[in-house]
Amino acid sequence: MTPALPDILRGYLVVLGTPPPPEASGEYTAGRLGMLGMLSTLAAQEAERGCAARVAENAAVRALFATAAAAYDAALEGALARAAAGVDDDLSWTALDRANADLRRLLIALHEAVETRGDGALDAAILTLYVAMARLRRLDLAGAMGG
Amino acid sequence: MTLADRLAAYLTRVEGRPTTVEGLSRISGGASRETYRFDALAGGERRSLILRRDPPGSLIETDRRLEFLAIRSFEDRDVAAPRALLLEEQGAELERPFFIMERAEGGMTGNVFGPDPYGAHAGAIGEQFFTYLGRIAAAPVAELAIAAVARAPAPADCWRAELDYWAGVIEADEQHPQPIVRAAIRRLRRAPPPPPAKISVVHGDYRSGNFLHDGEGRIVAVLDWEMAHLGDPLEDLAWAIDPLWTRAGDDRVSGMIPIDDGLALWSGASGVEVDRAALAWWRLFASVKGQAIWTSAAREWRDGGFAEPILAFSGWYTARRHDEILADFLVKAA
Repeated sequence: MTPALPDILRGYLVVLGTPPPPEASGEYTAGRLGMLGMLSTLAAQEAERGCAARVAENAAVRALFATAAAAYDAALEGALARAAAGVDDDLSWTALDRANADLRRLLIALHEAVETRGDGALDAAILTLYVAMARLRRLDLAGAMGG
Repeated sequence: MTLADRLAAYLTRVEGRPTTVEGLSRISGGASRETYRFDALAGGERRSLILRRDPPGSLIETDRRLEFLAIRSFEDRDVAAPRALLLEEQGAELERPFFIMERAEGGMTGNVFGPDPYGAHAGAIGEQFFTYLGRIAAAPVAELAIAAVARAPAPADCWRAELDYWAGVIEADEQHPQPIVRAAIRRLRRAPPPPPAKISVVHGDYRSGNFLHDGEGRIVAVLDWEMAHLGDPLEDLAWAIDPLWTRAGDDRVSGMIPIDDGLALWSGASGVEVDRAALAWWRLFASVKGQAIWTSAAREWRDGGFAEPILAFSGWYTARRHDEILADFLVKAA
């Protein structure tokens, strides 16, 4: 996955607090500051939507696990049913990402099992879920560039 | 000593005449090397040059000799390659490996993610863009300088060599599970493409934003050869038309020309017929490769102490955009 918002924001102090050498003080520094400006706009989008996106993704993955558990939990040692019963009661970025990492690892394992079995219906459902997951995390560059 | 002083000392030594350096200025461009423009003055002559120096850490681990020889391979083949002049793999006075090449005066880049990056000259630039890429594909590898250092894969192994490498990058640098790109990698392994009709030089990062144009419809420099290698020429073509480089709603490749026009130009210049099924494989691969590069960028952003904002942008916005592209490819090809 991509850097979390706190990791993006940590860079501001480093970039703004480190004076460039003379040969890098012109166009290069201007470019870096412009990049920070763009990151700021993207960070505003992430601050607005990022937590909700993580909650929604985790819920969608758990819902798929609940559907798939009957057919695949024997192979995955009950992991799907256990994961499907989970809830995000800690809404910190760290906790949400930790839960998301566990869910994604299990989703990868499930998808591999689905492909091995040639289960076209569940494969299609997983691919549809991937599209939804990617849309939930979308950052709008046109907005960041004023275009 | 400043970097300019050390650069002047180097040029004075290797060229055997007193040289001074003016206007040394770091510029954006190329995530794997520090890039500087400068003028070298010697014997009443002023030369406009570019210095590419290895950074302490880099987004893409590449071989500067290979990059140097890739550029040199094409400097007289009408693809707007700059002229590569000097290579120092041990760093010499500059302490880190570097090379120097000629600078294209007045060149500008198009804004990859901005609207209508080439304006009224989009058609002319698009024609050159695909024609030059076709010429790179057409060039006889054995006659090129790069043949001395680049290993030619067996035609049947082109896809595997590239996929293994970039899948390995994801495996090594991933900090959070990525189910979408992993599904794409499995899909690619299940249905590999046919061997290419010929082994070509693959530029490796041929796309909008990696060439300079003069603002009047002429491409004056094709840049960023650091990922050059030998392989299937469709790899470059697929990367060049990846949806990442095209703004949503624009039906032209990178705001230049429609994709079918580009493919026809490329075929005409390369002499290679485009196998649409093979191209579809390489297009999915291109997005996997992109995701691998952005995964490394995210890791480097963190491991490098959050110092280079381009790494944050690459590891964040472009990674998420490529997840969308990959998911769409997977659904459409299911």
